Amino acid sequence: MKTPPRWADRFLEWYCNPDLLEEIQGDAHELHKKRVRVHGMFLADLLFAWDVIRFLRWSNIKRNKRNSTSNSMIMLKSYLTVGFRNAIRHRLNSSINILGLSLALGVAITSFVFIDNQLHTDFFNERLDRIYQVTNRIETDNRIDDWSDTPALLGPSLAKDLSAVEASTRIEYSNASIRYNETVFSEFIWFADPDFMNIFSYPVLQGNPHALKNKNQIIMASELAEKYFGTSDPIGQALSVKFNDDLKEEFTVGAVIERPNGSSLYPTIIFAMEKFEDLRPKDANSWSYQVDGTFILLKPSHSPSELVEALDSYKKIQNEASPQWLVEDFQCYPLKGLALKSSDIISAVSQGAHPAGLISLGVVSGLLLLLASFNYMNVSIATVATRLKEIGIRKVIGGQKKEIIQQFLIENFLLCAISMAVGCLLSYLFFLPGFNSLYPVDIPFIFSSGNVVFLFFGGLLVFIGFVSGAYPALYIASFTPIHIMRGREKFGQKSLLSRVLLTFQFVLAFMTIVGSFVFIDNSLYLKNKDWGYNHDQIIAIPVGEKEKFLALRDKLNGNQQIANLSGSVNHIGRANTRASFIYKEQKHETVDYRVGFDYLETMNIRLKEGRFFDRNIQSDADESIIINEAFAKKLGWDNPIGQYFEFDSLKRYVVGVVHDFHYEGFYNALGPVLFRIAPEDDFKYLAVLIKSNHLNETEKEIKSAWADIAPDDPYEGFIQDEVFADFNNDNNANVKLLGFISGTTVVLASLGLFGLVSFNITRRMKEFSIRKVFGANLSHVFKLMNRDYVWILLIAFLVGAPLGFYLINTLIQNIYPDPQAARPVPFFIAVSIMLLTVAFTVSTQLSRVKKENPAATLRND
Amino acid sequence: MKGAYLGELEELILLTVGVLYQQAYGVAIQEEIENQVGRKLNISAVHAVLKRLEEKGFITSSMGGATEERGGRRKRLFTLTSLGKKALEEANEMRTQLYNQIPRIALQFHSY
Repeated sequence: MKTPPRWADRFLEWYCNPDLLEEIQGDAHELHKKRVRVHGMFLADLLFAWDVIRFLRWSNIKRNKRNSTSNSMIMLKSYLTVGFRNAIRHRLNSSINILGLSLALGVAITSFVFIDNQLHTDFFNERLDRIYQVTNRIETDNRIDDWSDTPALLGPSLAKDLSAVEASTRIEYSNASIRYNETVFSEFIWFADPDFMNIFSYPVLQGNPHALKNKNQIIMASELAEKYFGTSDPIGQALSVKFNDDLKEEFTVGAVIERPNGSSLYPTIIFAMEKFEDLRPKDANSWSYQVDGTFILLKPSHSPSELVEALDSYKKIQNEASPQWLVEDFQCYPLKGLALKSSDIISAVSQGAHPAGLISLGVVSGLLLLLASFNYMNVSIATVATRLKEIGIRKVIGGQKKEIIQQFLIENFLLCAISMAVGCLLSYLFFLPGFNSLYPVDIPFIFSSGNVVFLFFGGLLVFIGFVSGAYPALYIASFTPIHIMRGREKFGQKSLLSRVLLTFQFVLAFMTIVGSFVFIDNSLYLKNKDWGYNHDQIIAIPVGEKEKFLALRDKLNGNQQIANLSGSVNHIGRANTRASFIYKEQKHETVDYRVGFDYLETMNIRLKEGRFFDRNIQSDADESIIINEAFAKKLGWDNPIGQYFEFDSLKRYVVGVVHDFHYEGFYNALGPVLFRIAPEDDFKYLAVLIKSNHLNETEKEIKSAWADIAPDDPYEGFIQDEVFADFNNDNNANVKLLGFISGTTVVLASLGLFGLVSFNITRRMKEFSIRKVFGANLSHVFKLMNRDYVWILLIAFLVGAPLGFYLINTLIQNIYPDPQAARPVPFFIAVSIMLLTVAFTVSTQLSRVKKENPAATLRND
Repeated sequence: MKGAYLGELEELILLTVGVLYQQAYGVAIQEEIENQVGRKLNISAVHAVLKRLEEKGFITSSMGGATEERGGRRKRLFTLTSLGKKALEEANEMRTQLYNQIPRIALQFHSY
């Protein structure tokens, strides 16, 4: 046979409208055959190719749309109908699929909302790209860190000296008691330059955005305005403000701003920086005083690299002004992304999540999605046997492989879309509110832009659709109809892939549940861990100044319920001041507590050796010092009592050593601590030890005593238990979150197992019925059923459990310096929960076999 | 329907379809024109014109007549419609009419 060149023929077949192909190809072939006779093979082939090229016209290429779409629309309808009927018929499997996918999608959507929100922090600022924070880089303990604290004069100098800088603002934190009519609140306040409102774009709800130009005006965040004035108009209202140094002044509200969602800065009440200059003129105009933050706005099309030289010259000025606080250099960080760097900048004014947290959240959601997709794959492959006839018939009456794949993918996408809708609901109604209540965040269910929504949900649908649907669709479409019709195929019975997937699922499930339980066990241990002193009967009251301290002390002194009380400058757990000193030519850091004589007794600190402070010993007031074990260890003293060193320009003698105690949560290792006596004039806190069982009533008495003494100041006393409240909240949140994640993983894995087992039982019902007729008992059937799964579980357990244990232990060691040694208990609890879940899953299905009447099953044939 | 105007090639192919009566399909038309008129056409041009004529309603088509040399593929066979026949007649008539108006003398130039 002399056929025309295959490639040209194929090309023709490819581009030509199928409706026209027959006549065109026929003519071309006929011509070719004739030409072979006349011109010979070569020329004929060439002419054939030429013809094919000449036939390449739009009118021959374009498909008759009306016809083909109507056909594929009809088929689509058929696919959907059949898919829907199938979903209804196999209610159990469909709901397992949808439930599993929705759970995972809900978690993924929630994490995405959170991550999206974090990545777009501060995007409400119109001049975002031009705003930079200037930080100080300081070397301490052989490490160079970025410090948010920068010299008070840096910001104004930058704006004045450099043409590239359009504006600058400093941010200085302070505290003040603010009174409006009869209500008094203690507030965390800001001082900022008037340009603050030009640099940042906080929406002004009311009033004049340039209010800070008048130093007697303030700008309030809307929540605070509401707190003070309720529904009445805040603009022009007068507030009486008492600053730290007991200076009282009147201010009027000049503007109310809104704190948009996703702001890394958290302004409360902003005072004019000019007022700060009035209050502390020396500090405000120096290079040695550090304000809490400095931000600059660059002019358009300038980059911070232009500032390097100028910043270098400021470095000299600053280092001359404060030789004890030497700057390596200054650094400019763009506001875009500053929130994510917050954890790297010491005492940062911006707040944001740690990037590691975002990444792990993403990874966990991704794993859950994979798990759910595997479930789907497993169940789809398993249930394919029920649809063999359908596939066979479709193929026999002309269904192409492509079309079968299409059919199953469409079904799959439909299911995924439903799951996505359910997942969105889950996320909106439960997961995101839950997340918000666990952590001190308030993330709304919104996305940064329409594009993001489109890309995320589109991408998610495509990803889930293909990951979960591609393999089953390909697998199903590759069956040969003749085998199906003969009934010889035994699909979905012992697919290696579904076993591998199930194993993988259970490895993950074992990993997460073991990991979570070990972590939770450690968290619970830390929650109940001894703090090194008895803290449950102590109340501490910040007193502000000497007169109030004395008045309150005198008032409480006679109280029968109070076992002991003492003033102090610093307070354990709340005000841990750090100080450094030189010993044997080496610099050491320590926590420095300046306290009254009975403070250690009041705080129940445990004495290890030596003695506590004694009023009657003259030298105790300035020379004696009490240290903790870590201090002695750091300085290498075996016999600390009587040792001496120079601290705060005085020679200090160690008179006592106390046991180590926790003073700032459990994230940090216990460091050296020293106590020394401070004069009553400096006291800021009053610590009260209450006799047991009288805590609440005594607290009430203290409150009323305070109201008598200081009607202008709010009562801010706290029970000592509360000093670790942040740590404990964190801890509880972690426990809940991990519990939720491990629960979800176990549920997903069990759902997968449940689907498989239930399907296998349905498929083998006849076999089991016959066995039952012949006298097999339930345990026999159970053995037969479980042989497969026992192996999978065993392998998953052997791989997953140690891996999870190892990983979480590494994590714990990294987070907590002093965790408890991992115990086998949580390990066993986790494993038994897993085994119980599996046993429950399998046995619910097994009871079907038990209840089934063999006659009913066998009668069908 | 596009205007009843017949192009030169259209007219030629329409005529051939009439000539081949019930055996008119792409290759046959192409060969017939080559044999009778001596004009070589590419097969794709023939197809394009046939399609245009069918759109104008001068011809109709049906599938049929599969042969071995076409690899078992059927031909698209074209037949004249009454509209097509009328169009041919009109064209012919117009030509004759015009031809008849040429003065006799003008036709005799070759005898010089």
